[in-house]
Amino acid sequence: MAILGLVRTALAGAVQYRASFLLDATTGLGGALAVVLPIAFVYGRAPSIAGWTRPEALLVTGFFLLLQGFVGVVLEPNFAALVDAIRRGTLDFVLLKPADSQLVVSLQRLSPQRAWDGLAGVAVLAVALRDLPAPGPREAAAAAGLFAAGVLATYGLYLAVVCTSFWFVRVDNLRFLLAGVLDAGRWPMGVYRGWVRTLLTVVVPVVLVTSTPALALRGRVGPALAAQSLAVAVAMLLGSRWVWRVAVRRYGSAGG
Amino acid sequence: MRVLRAWPVLLRVAWAEMFAYRAEMVVWILGTSLPLVMLALWDAAAESGALAGFTAGEVARYFTAVLVVRQLTAIWLAWEFDHDVRTGALSPQLLRPMHPLWWRAAETLAAVPWRVVVLVPLLGALGAWRPEAVAPPDVATCGVFALSLALAWLVGWCVQVCFGCLAFWFEQALGAWQAWFFAWGLLSGYLVPLALMPPSLRDVAAWLPFYATLGAPVDLLLGHADPWGTLARQGAWAIVLAAVASAAWRAGMRRYGAVGA
Repeated sequence: MAILGLVRTALAGAVQYRASFLLDATTGLGGALAVVLPIAFVYGRAPSIAGWTRPEALLVTGFFLLLQGFVGVVLEPNFAALVDAIRRGTLDFVLLKPADSQLVVSLQRLSPQRAWDGLAGVAVLAVALRDLPAPGPREAAAAAGLFAAGVLATYGLYLAVVCTSFWFVRVDNLRFLLAGVLDAGRWPMGVYRGWVRTLLTVVVPVVLVTSTPALALRGRVGPALAAQSLAVAVAMLLGSRWVWRVAVRRYGSAGG
Repeated sequence: MRVLRAWPVLLRVAWAEMFAYRAEMVVWILGTSLPLVMLALWDAAAESGALAGFTAGEVARYFTAVLVVRQLTAIWLAWEFDHDVRTGALSPQLLRPMHPLWWRAAETLAAVPWRVVVLVPLLGALGAWRPEAVAPPDVATCGVFALSLALAWLVGWCVQVCFGCLAFWFEQALGAWQAWFFAWGLLSGYLVPLALMPPSLRDVAAWLPFYATLGAPVDLLLGHADPWGTLARQGAWAIVLAAVASAAWRAGMRRYGAVGA
Protein backbone atom coordinates (compact mmCIF):
# COMPACT_ATOMS: atom_id res chain seq x y z
CA MET A 1 0.00 0.00 0.00
CA ALA A 2 2.68 2.45 1.04
CA ILE A 3 4.61 1.67 -2.13
CA LEU A 4 1.56 2.28 -4.37
CA GLY A 5 0.89 5.65 -2.77
CA LEU A 6 4.53 6.69 -3.12
CA VAL A 7 4.59 5.75 -6.79
CA ARG A 8 1.34 7.65 -7.54
CA THR A 9 2.61 10.85 -5.96
CA ALA A 10 5.92 10.52 -7.79
CA LEU A 11 4.19 10.13 -11.17
CA ALA A 12 1.98 13.14 -10.61
CA GLY A 13 5.07 15.22 -9.86
CA ALA A 14 6.77 14.16 -13.07
CA VAL A 15 4.03 14.92 -15.62
CA GLN A 16 3.60 18.51 -14.45
CA TYR A 17 6.05 19.84 -17.02
CA ARG A 18 4.79 18.68 -20.39
CA ALA A 19 7.17 20.34 -22.83
CA SER A 20 10.25 19.05 -21.07
CA PHE A 21 8.56 15.66 -20.77
CA LEU A 22 8.31 15.36 -24.57
CA LEU A 23 11.82 16.65 -25.11
CA ASP A 24 13.28 14.16 -22.65
CA ALA A 25 11.43 11.40 -24.46
CA THR A 26 13.01 12.35 -27.78
CA THR A 27 16.51 12.58 -26.38
CA GLY A 28 15.98 9.27 -24.58
CA LEU A 29 15.36 7.66 -27.92
CA GLY A 30 18.55 9.23 -29.30
CA GLY A 31 20.48 7.75 -26.40
CA ALA A 32 19.08 4.30 -27.11
CA LEU A 33 20.15 4.61 -30.75
CA ALA A 34 23.68 5.50 -29.65
CA VAL A 35 23.79 2.23 -27.72
CA VAL A 36 22.39 0.03 -30.48
CA LEU A 37 24.09 1.42 -33.59
CA PRO A 38 27.70 0.46 -32.67
CA ILE A 39 26.47 -3.14 -32.34
CA ALA A 40 25.01 -2.87 -35.83
CA PHE A 41 28.33 -1.52 -37.14
CA VAL A 42 30.46 -4.20 -35.49
CA TYR A 43 28.24 -7.08 -36.55
CA GLY A 44 28.11 -5.69 -40.05
CA ARG A 45 31.66 -7.03 -40.26
CA ALA A 46 31.54 -10.35 -38.42
CA PRO A 47 28.82 -12.92 -37.72
CA SER A 48 30.17 -13.68 -34.25
CA ILE A 49 32.32 -11.72 -31.79
CA ALA A 50 33.90 -13.30 -28.71
CA GLY A 51 31.50 -16.22 -29.12
CA TRP A 52 28.36 -14.04 -29.25
CA THR A 53 26.21 -13.76 -32.36
CA ARG A 54 24.39 -10.55 -33.24
CA PRO A 55 20.98 -11.48 -31.82
CA GLU A 56 22.66 -12.65 -28.63
CA ALA A 57 24.59 -9.41 -28.32
CA LEU A 58 21.33 -7.53 -28.97
CA LEU A 59 19.73 -9.40 -26.07
CA VAL A 60 22.46 -7.99 -23.83
CA THR A 61 21.89 -4.52 -25.28
CA GLY A 62 18.16 -4.89 -24.62
CA PHE A 63 18.73 -5.79 -20.98
CA PHE A 64 21.24 -2.95 -20.71
CA LEU A 65 18.65 -0.45 -21.96
CA LEU A 66 16.08 -1.87 -19.54
CA LEU A 67 18.57 -1.44 -16.72
CA GLN A 68 19.32 2.11 -17.83
CA GLY A 69 15.61 2.78 -17.88
CA PHE A 70 15.36 1.60 -14.28
CA VAL A 71 18.34 3.73 -13.27
CA GLY A 72 16.87 6.77 -15.03
CA VAL A 73 13.28 6.35 -13.85
CA VAL A 74 13.89 5.27 -10.26
CA LEU A 75 17.47 5.54 -9.05
CA GLU A 76 18.71 8.83 -10.53
CA PRO A 77 15.82 11.10 -9.40
CA ASN A 78 15.60 9.59 -5.93
CA PHE A 79 19.29 9.58 -5.22
CA ALA A 80 19.76 13.07 -6.63
CA ALA A 81 17.03 14.19 -4.22
CA LEU A 82 18.70 12.26 -1.40
CA VAL A 83 22.08 13.94 -1.95
CA ASP A 84 20.29 17.28 -1.99
CA ALA A 85 18.35 16.50 1.18
CA ILE A 86 21.53 15.54 3.00
CA ARG A 87 23.20 18.77 1.91
CA ARG A 88 20.28 20.96 2.97
CA GLY A 89 19.43 18.99 6.07
CA THR A 90 15.87 18.32 4.91
CA LEU A 91 16.38 14.59 5.32
CA ASP A 92 14.90 15.06 8.80
CA PHE A 93 11.44 15.16 7.26
CA VAL A 94 11.98 11.73 5.71
CA LEU A 95 13.42 10.23 8.88
CA LEU A 96 10.40 11.46 10.86
CA LYS A 97 7.94 9.59 8.64
CA PRO A 98 6.59 6.36 10.08
CA ALA A 99 7.56 4.32 6.97
CA ASP A 100 10.95 2.72 6.53
CA SER A 101 13.30 5.57 5.64
CA GLN A 102 15.28 3.61 3.07
CA LEU A 103 12.07 2.72 1.23
CA VAL A 104 10.93 6.35 1.20
CA VAL A 105 14.19 7.82 -0.10
CA SER A 106 14.31 5.10 -2.77
CA LEU A 107 10.77 5.56 -4.12
CA GLN A 108 9.98 9.19 -3.39
CA ARG A 109 9.97 10.36 -6.98
CA LEU A 110 9.96 8.85 -10.45
CA SER A 111 11.04 10.25 -13.82
CA PRO A 112 8.75 8.46 -16.29
CA GLN A 113 10.25 10.57 -19.09
CA ARG A 114 13.36 8.43 -18.76
CA ALA A 115 11.32 5.29 -19.41
CA TRP A 116 12.14 5.57 -23.12
CA ASP A 117 15.38 3.72 -22.54
CA GLY A 118 13.40 0.87 -21.06
CA LEU A 119 10.87 0.85 -23.90
CA ALA A 120 13.71 0.83 -26.41
CA GLY A 121 15.12 -2.10 -24.46
CA VAL A 122 11.88 -4.05 -24.88
CA ALA A 123 11.91 -3.30 -28.61
CA VAL A 124 15.53 -4.43 -28.94
CA LEU A 125 14.77 -7.64 -27.06
CA ALA A 126 11.83 -8.31 -29.39
CA VAL A 127 13.99 -7.78 -32.48
CA ALA A 128 16.72 -10.02 -31.10
CA LEU A 129 14.31 -12.80 -30.20
CA ARG A 130 12.89 -12.80 -33.72
CA ASP A 131 16.21 -14.19 -34.97
CA LEU A 132 16.56 -16.78 -32.20
CA PRO A 133 14.65 -19.96 -31.37
CA ALA A 134 11.82 -18.99 -29.01
CA PRO A 135 12.83 -19.48 -25.35
CA GLY A 136 10.62 -21.80 -23.32
CA PRO A 137 8.79 -20.71 -20.17
CA ARG A 138 11.61 -22.02 -18.00
CA GLU A 139 14.21 -19.96 -19.84
CA ALA A 140 12.00 -16.88 -19.76
CA ALA A 141 11.37 -17.25 -16.04
CA ALA A 142 15.08 -17.76 -15.35
CA ALA A 143 15.93 -14.65 -17.39
CA ALA A 144 13.32 -12.55 -15.60
CA GLY A 145 14.49 -13.75 -12.21
CA LEU A 146 18.16 -13.13 -12.96
CA PHE A 147 17.43 -9.70 -14.38
CA ALA A 148 15.40 -8.80 -11.29
CA ALA A 149 18.34 -9.92 -9.15
CA GLY A 150 20.60 -7.73 -11.26
CA VAL A 151 18.31 -4.73 -10.87
CA LEU A 152 18.36 -5.17 -7.09
CA ALA A 153 22.15 -5.51 -7.13
CA THR A 154 22.40 -2.26 -9.11
CA TYR A 155 20.07 -0.57 -6.64
CA GLY A 156 22.25 -1.70 -3.74
CA LEU A 157 25.39 -0.50 -5.48
CA TYR A 158 23.90 2.94 -6.16
CA LEU A 159 22.53 3.31 -2.64
CA ALA A 160 25.86 2.37 -1.07
CA VAL A 161 27.73 4.85 -3.25
CA VAL A 162 25.21 7.63 -2.72
CA CYS A 163 25.35 7.09 1.04
CA THR A 164 28.93 8.34 0.97
CA SER A 165 27.44 11.81 0.70
CA PHE A 166 26.61 11.54 4.41
CA TRP A 167 30.37 11.87 4.88
CA PHE A 168 31.48 13.81 1.79
CA VAL A 169 28.91 16.32 0.75
CA ARG A 170 29.89 16.85 -2.87
CA VAL A 171 29.21 13.49 -4.43
CA ASP A 172 26.78 14.38 -7.22
CA ASN A 173 29.51 13.38 -9.56
CA LEU A 174 29.95 9.98 -7.95
CA ARG A 175 26.68 9.16 -9.65
CA PHE A 176 28.33 10.28 -12.87
CA LEU A 177 31.22 7.92 -12.19
CA LEU A 178 28.76 5.08 -11.55
CA ALA A 179 26.99 5.83 -14.81
CA GLY A 180 30.39 5.61 -16.49
CA VAL A 181 31.00 2.17 -14.99
CA LEU A 182 27.45 1.08 -15.82
CA ASP A 183 28.21 1.84 -19.47
CA ALA A 184 30.38 -1.27 -19.56
CA GLY A 185 27.22 -3.39 -19.25
CA ARG A 186 26.20 -2.66 -22.80
CA TRP A 187 28.41 -5.36 -24.34
CA PRO A 188 28.31 -9.14 -23.83
CA MET A 189 30.46 -10.59 -21.09
CA GLY A 190 32.73 -12.34 -23.60
CA VAL A 191 34.08 -9.00 -24.80
CA TYR A 192 35.84 -8.44 -21.47
CA ARG A 193 38.77 -10.56 -20.45
CA GLY A 194 41.06 -11.20 -17.51
CA TRP A 195 40.84 -8.97 -14.43
CA VAL A 196 38.52 -6.54 -16.21
CA ARG A 197 35.90 -9.26 -16.43
CA THR A 198 36.40 -10.20 -12.76
CA LEU A 199 35.97 -6.54 -11.83
CA LEU A 200 32.80 -6.16 -13.88
CA THR A 201 31.19 -9.39 -12.72
CA VAL A 202 32.11 -9.42 -9.04
CA VAL A 203 33.04 -5.98 -7.70
CA VAL A 204 30.84 -3.77 -9.90
CA PRO A 205 28.67 -6.51 -11.41
CA VAL A 206 27.21 -4.53 -14.33
CA VAL A 207 28.27 -7.04 -16.96
CA LEU A 208 26.78 -9.85 -14.91
CA VAL A 209 23.47 -7.96 -14.67
CA THR A 210 23.02 -7.64 -18.44
CA SER A 211 24.72 -10.79 -19.73
CA THR A 212 23.27 -13.44 -17.41
CA PRO A 213 19.60 -12.89 -18.37
CA ALA A 214 20.64 -12.93 -22.04
CA LEU A 215 22.41 -16.26 -21.50
CA ALA A 216 19.39 -17.54 -19.57
CA LEU A 217 17.11 -16.81 -22.53
CA ARG A 218 19.41 -19.00 -24.62
CA GLY A 219 19.35 -21.71 -21.94
CA ARG A 220 23.07 -21.30 -21.31
CA VAL A 221 23.21 -20.32 -17.65
CA GLY A 222 24.79 -23.01 -15.49
CA PRO A 223 24.10 -23.30 -11.76
CA ALA A 224 27.44 -21.60 -10.95
CA LEU A 225 26.62 -18.45 -12.90
CA ALA A 226 23.07 -18.32 -11.53
CA ALA A 227 24.37 -18.74 -7.99
CA GLN A 228 26.93 -16.00 -8.56
CA SER A 229 24.24 -13.60 -9.79
CA LEU A 230 21.97 -14.27 -6.84
CA ALA A 231 24.85 -14.09 -4.35
CA VAL A 232 25.96 -10.73 -5.75
CA ALA A 233 22.40 -9.39 -5.49
CA VAL A 234 21.98 -10.53 -1.89
CA ALA A 235 25.39 -9.20 -0.92
CA MET A 236 24.70 -5.81 -2.53
CA LEU A 237 21.28 -5.51 -0.88
CA LEU A 238 22.45 -6.49 2.60
CA GLY A 239 25.60 -4.42 2.24
CA SER A 240 23.72 -1.30 1.17
CA ARG A 241 21.14 -1.77 3.95
CA TRP A 242 23.99 -1.87 6.43
CA VAL A 243 25.66 1.22 4.91
CA TRP A 244 22.31 3.06 5.01
CA ARG A 245 21.81 2.26 8.70
CA VAL A 246 25.32 3.37 9.65
CA ALA A 247 24.93 6.51 7.53
CA VAL A 248 21.57 7.51 9.02
CA ARG A 249 22.85 6.97 12.51
CA ARG A 250 25.74 9.27 11.71
CA TYR A 251 23.39 11.89 10.26
CA GLY A 252 21.32 11.89 13.45
CA SER A 253 24.31 12.12 15.70
CA ALA A 254 25.50 15.19 13.80
CA GLY A 255 22.38 16.91 15.14
CA GLY A 256 21.05 17.56 11.61
CA MET B 1 44.36 44.32 -24.85
CA ARG B 2 42.98 44.49 -21.34
CA VAL B 3 41.93 40.86 -21.67
CA LEU B 4 45.51 39.88 -22.58
CA ARG B 5 46.84 41.53 -19.45
CA ALA B 6 44.14 39.92 -17.31
CA TRP B 7 44.61 36.50 -18.88
CA PRO B 8 47.43 35.18 -16.58
CA VAL B 9 45.44 36.27 -13.52
CA LEU B 10 42.29 34.67 -14.90
CA LEU B 11 44.12 31.41 -15.44
CA ARG B 12 45.60 31.49 -11.93
CA VAL B 13 42.21 32.13 -10.31
CA ALA B 14 40.56 29.45 -12.45
CA TRP B 15 43.30 26.99 -11.54
CA ALA B 16 42.89 27.73 -7.82
CA GLU B 17 39.14 27.25 -8.08
CA MET B 18 39.51 24.00 -9.99
CA PHE B 19 42.17 22.80 -7.55
CA ALA B 20 39.85 23.36 -4.60
CA TYR B 21 37.63 20.66 -6.06
CA ARG B 22 40.42 18.47 -7.44
CA ALA B 23 38.90 15.21 -6.16
CA GLU B 24 35.66 16.09 -7.89
CA MET B 25 37.61 16.74 -11.06
CA VAL B 26 39.28 13.33 -10.84
CA VAL B 27 35.84 11.74 -10.65
CA TRP B 28 34.73 13.66 -13.72
CA ILE B 29 37.84 12.56 -15.59
CA LEU B 30 37.56 8.89 -14.61
CA GLY B 31 33.82 8.86 -15.32
CA THR B 32 34.57 9.33 -19.00
CA SER B 33 35.07 5.63 -19.48
CA LEU B 34 33.27 5.19 -22.77
CA PRO B 35 36.41 5.14 -24.98
CA LEU B 36 37.66 2.18 -22.91
CA VAL B 37 34.27 0.44 -23.11
CA MET B 38 34.27 0.95 -26.88
CA LEU B 39 37.85 -0.34 -26.98
CA ALA B 40 36.71 -3.63 -25.39
CA LEU B 41 34.09 -4.17 -28.09
CA TRP B 42 36.21 -3.23 -31.11
CA ASP B 43 39.15 -5.12 -29.66
CA ALA B 44 37.10 -8.30 -29.47
CA ALA B 45 35.92 -7.66 -33.04
CA ALA B 46 39.52 -7.25 -34.22
CA GLU B 47 40.49 -10.53 -32.54
CA SER B 48 37.66 -12.25 -34.37
CA GLY B 49 39.44 -11.05 -37.52
CA ALA B 50 36.43 -8.97 -38.50
CA LEU B 51 38.17 -5.66 -39.15
CA ALA B 52 40.08 -6.11 -42.37
CA GLY B 53 43.21 -3.97 -42.23
CA PHE B 54 42.54 -2.81 -38.66
CA THR B 55 44.58 -4.86 -36.17
CA ALA B 56 43.87 -5.17 -32.45
CA GLY B 57 46.91 -2.94 -31.84
CA GLU B 58 45.52 -0.22 -34.06
CA VAL B 59 42.14 -0.42 -32.32
CA ALA B 60 43.89 -0.01 -28.97
CA ARG B 61 45.89 2.97 -30.26
CA TYR B 62 42.79 4.54 -31.74
CA PHE B 63 40.65 4.46 -28.60
CA THR B 64 43.59 5.49 -26.40
CA ALA B 65 43.96 8.53 -28.62
CA VAL B 66 40.20 9.14 -28.39
CA LEU B 67 40.47 9.08 -24.60
CA VAL B 68 43.30 11.63 -24.66
CA VAL B 69 41.64 13.99 -27.14
CA ARG B 70 38.28 13.76 -25.35
CA GLN B 71 39.93 14.70 -22.05
CA LEU B 72 42.02 17.54 -23.43
CA THR B 73 39.08 19.09 -25.32
CA ALA B 74 36.46 18.55 -22.59
CA ILE B 75 34.18 21.59 -22.38
CA TRP B 76 31.13 22.00 -20.16
CA LEU B 77 30.23 25.53 -21.19
CA ALA B 78 26.75 24.67 -22.54
CA TRP B 79 25.56 23.43 -19.12
CA GLU B 80 27.08 26.32 -17.14
CA PHE B 81 25.90 28.90 -19.60
CA ASP B 82 22.39 27.50 -19.73
CA HIS B 83 22.29 27.59 -15.94
CA ASP B 84 23.65 31.16 -15.77
CA VAL B 85 21.11 32.46 -18.27
CA ARG B 86 18.11 30.76 -16.68
CA THR B 87 18.97 31.72 -13.12
CA GLY B 88 20.21 35.21 -13.99
CA ALA B 89 23.71 34.42 -12.71
CA LEU B 90 24.91 35.87 -16.01
CA SER B 91 23.96 39.41 -14.98
CA PRO B 92 26.79 40.05 -12.50
CA GLN B 93 29.24 38.51 -14.98
CA LEU B 94 28.18 41.10 -17.53
CA LEU B 95 29.19 43.90 -15.16
CA ARG B 96 32.81 42.85 -15.30
CA PRO B 97 34.96 44.88 -17.68
CA MET B 98 35.43 41.95 -20.06
CA HIS B 99 33.44 39.38 -21.97
CA PRO B 100 32.09 36.64 -19.62
CA LEU B 101 33.25 33.97 -22.05
CA TRP B 102 36.88 34.85 -21.35
CA TRP B 103 36.41 33.73 -17.78
CA ARG B 104 34.67 30.56 -18.91
CA ALA B 105 37.52 29.85 -21.35
CA ALA B 106 40.08 30.32 -18.58
CA GLU B 107 38.09 27.94 -16.41
CA THR B 108 38.09 25.26 -19.11
CA LEU B 109 41.78 25.66 -19.97
CA ALA B 110 42.94 25.75 -16.34
CA ALA B 111 41.62 22.22 -15.92
CA VAL B 112 43.83 20.89 -18.73
CA PRO B 113 47.07 20.49 -16.69
CA TRP B 114 45.16 18.60 -14.02
CA ARG B 115 43.59 16.38 -16.66
CA VAL B 116 47.10 15.59 -17.93
CA VAL B 117 48.20 14.69 -14.40
CA VAL B 118 45.32 12.21 -14.08
CA LEU B 119 45.75 10.92 -17.64
CA VAL B 120 49.44 10.03 -17.38
CA PRO B 121 49.08 7.18 -14.85
CA LEU B 122 46.00 6.00 -16.76
CA LEU B 123 48.02 5.87 -19.98
CA GLY B 124 50.82 4.16 -18.07
CA ALA B 125 48.40 1.46 -16.96
CA LEU B 126 47.09 1.08 -20.50
CA GLY B 127 50.66 0.83 -21.78
CA ALA B 128 51.50 -1.85 -19.22
CA TRP B 129 48.42 -3.83 -20.24
CA ARG B 130 48.72 -3.30 -24.01
CA PRO B 131 52.16 -1.92 -24.91
CA GLU B 132 51.08 -1.26 -28.50
CA ALA B 133 48.30 1.08 -27.30
CA VAL B 134 50.72 3.87 -26.38
CA ALA B 135 53.16 4.60 -29.21
CA PRO B 136 55.03 7.92 -29.04
CA PRO B 137 54.54 9.85 -32.31
CA ASP B 138 57.37 11.68 -34.13
CA VAL B 139 57.94 15.43 -33.86
CA ALA B 140 56.18 16.44 -37.08
CA THR B 141 53.08 14.43 -36.13
CA CYS B 142 53.14 16.05 -32.69
CA GLY B 143 53.09 19.50 -34.28
CA VAL B 144 50.19 18.66 -36.58
CA PHE B 145 48.38 17.00 -33.69
CA ALA B 146 48.80 20.02 -31.40
CA LEU B 147 47.43 22.32 -34.08
CA SER B 148 44.53 19.99 -34.79
CA LEU B 149 43.80 19.65 -31.07
CA ALA B 150 43.64 23.42 -30.67
CA LEU B 151 41.26 23.68 -33.62
CA ALA B 152 39.15 20.84 -32.22
CA TRP B 153 38.89 22.71 -28.92
CA LEU B 154 37.90 25.91 -30.73
CA VAL B 155 35.23 24.21 -32.83
CA GLY B 156 33.81 22.44 -29.78
CA TRP B 157 33.84 25.69 -27.83
CA CYS B 158 31.99 27.62 -30.53
CA VAL B 159 29.38 24.86 -30.81
CA GLN B 160 28.73 24.98 -27.07
CA VAL B 161 28.48 28.79 -27.14
CA CYS B 162 25.83 28.43 -29.85
CA PHE B 163 23.83 25.87 -27.87
CA GLY B 164 24.33 27.80 -24.65
CA CYS B 165 22.94 30.92 -26.35
CA LEU B 166 19.72 29.01 -27.12
CA ALA B 167 18.97 29.44 -23.41
CA PHE B 168 18.20 33.11 -24.17
CA TRP B 169 15.13 31.93 -26.09
CA PHE B 170 14.23 28.47 -24.79
CA GLU B 171 14.00 27.05 -21.31
CA GLN B 172 14.94 23.59 -22.52
CA ALA B 173 18.01 24.55 -24.52
CA LEU B 174 19.94 21.59 -23.13
CA GLY B 175 17.57 19.23 -24.94
CA ALA B 176 18.87 20.51 -28.27
CA TRP B 177 22.39 20.11 -26.96
CA GLN B 178 21.64 16.49 -26.04
CA ALA B 179 20.41 15.81 -29.58
CA TRP B 180 23.65 17.27 -30.97
CA PHE B 181 25.62 15.16 -28.52
CA PHE B 182 24.08 11.89 -29.73
CA ALA B 183 24.77 12.77 -33.36
CA TRP B 184 28.27 13.71 -32.26
CA GLY B 185 28.82 10.32 -30.60
CA LEU B 186 27.96 8.47 -33.78
CA LEU B 187 29.61 10.73 -36.38
CA SER B 188 32.71 12.12 -34.65
CA GLY B 189 34.60 8.84 -34.40
CA TYR B 190 33.87 8.58 -30.65
CA LEU B 191 31.89 5.33 -30.85
CA VAL B 192 32.84 4.11 -34.31
CA PRO B 193 36.16 4.98 -36.00
CA LEU B 194 35.54 6.64 -39.35
CA ALA B 195 37.86 4.11 -40.95
CA LEU B 196 35.41 1.35 -39.99
CA MET B 197 32.27 3.09 -41.24
CA PRO B 198 30.68 2.20 -44.58
CA PRO B 199 32.54 4.29 -47.21
CA SER B 200 29.53 6.43 -48.15
CA LEU B 201 28.87 7.40 -44.52
CA ARG B 202 32.59 7.99 -43.91
CA ASP B 203 32.85 10.46 -46.79
CA VAL B 204 29.98 12.50 -45.36
CA ALA B 205 31.12 12.28 -41.74
CA ALA B 206 34.64 13.49 -42.55
CA TRP B 207 33.21 16.83 -43.70
CA LEU B 208 30.94 17.41 -40.70
CA PRO B 209 31.80 19.53 -37.64
CA PHE B 210 31.47 16.47 -35.36
CA TYR B 211 34.60 14.96 -36.87
CA ALA B 212 36.44 18.27 -36.56
CA THR B 213 36.08 18.15 -32.76
CA LEU B 214 37.39 14.63 -32.13
CA GLY B 215 38.12 12.29 -35.00
CA ALA B 216 40.35 14.74 -36.85
CA PRO B 217 43.08 15.08 -34.20
CA VAL B 218 42.86 11.35 -33.42
CA ASP B 219 43.34 10.33 -37.04
CA LEU B 220 46.14 12.86 -37.49
CA LEU B 221 47.94 11.52 -34.41
CA LEU B 222 47.77 7.99 -35.82
CA GLY B 223 48.64 9.10 -39.35
CA HIS B 224 45.28 7.95 -40.74
CA ALA B 225 44.30 11.21 -42.42
CA ASP B 226 45.74 13.71 -44.85
CA PRO B 227 47.07 16.51 -42.58
CA TRP B 228 46.46 19.61 -44.71
CA GLY B 229 42.99 18.72 -45.89
CA THR B 230 41.89 17.78 -42.38
CA LEU B 231 43.37 20.90 -40.79
CA ALA B 232 41.77 23.05 -43.49
CA ARG B 233 38.32 21.58 -42.82
CA GLN B 234 38.78 22.07 -39.08
CA GLY B 235 39.87 25.66 -39.65
CA ALA B 236 36.90 26.33 -41.92
CA TRP B 237 34.47 24.98 -39.31
CA ALA B 238 36.18 27.04 -36.60
CA ILE B 239 35.68 30.23 -38.64
CA VAL B 240 32.07 29.46 -39.58
CA LEU B 241 31.05 28.43 -36.07
CA ALA B 242 32.87 31.35 -34.45
CA ALA B 243 30.84 33.68 -36.67
CA VAL B 244 27.58 31.90 -35.78
CA ALA B 245 28.49 31.90 -32.09
CA SER B 246 29.26 35.60 -31.99
CA ALA B 247 26.06 36.43 -33.90
CA ALA B 248 24.08 34.22 -31.48
CA TRP B 249 25.72 35.93 -28.53
CA ARG B 250 24.91 39.43 -29.79
CA ALA B 251 21.29 38.52 -30.59
CA GLY B 252 21.02 36.82 -27.22
CA MET B 253 22.38 39.86 -25.41
CA ARG B 254 19.70 42.07 -26.97
CA ARG B 255 17.05 39.60 -25.90
CA TYR B 256 18.49 39.18 -22.40
CA GLY B 257 18.66 42.92 -21.85
CA ALA B 258 15.09 43.32 -23.09
CA VAL B 259 13.82 40.95 -20.43
CA GLY B 260 15.44 43.26 -17.93
CA ALA B 261 17.10 40.54 -15.91
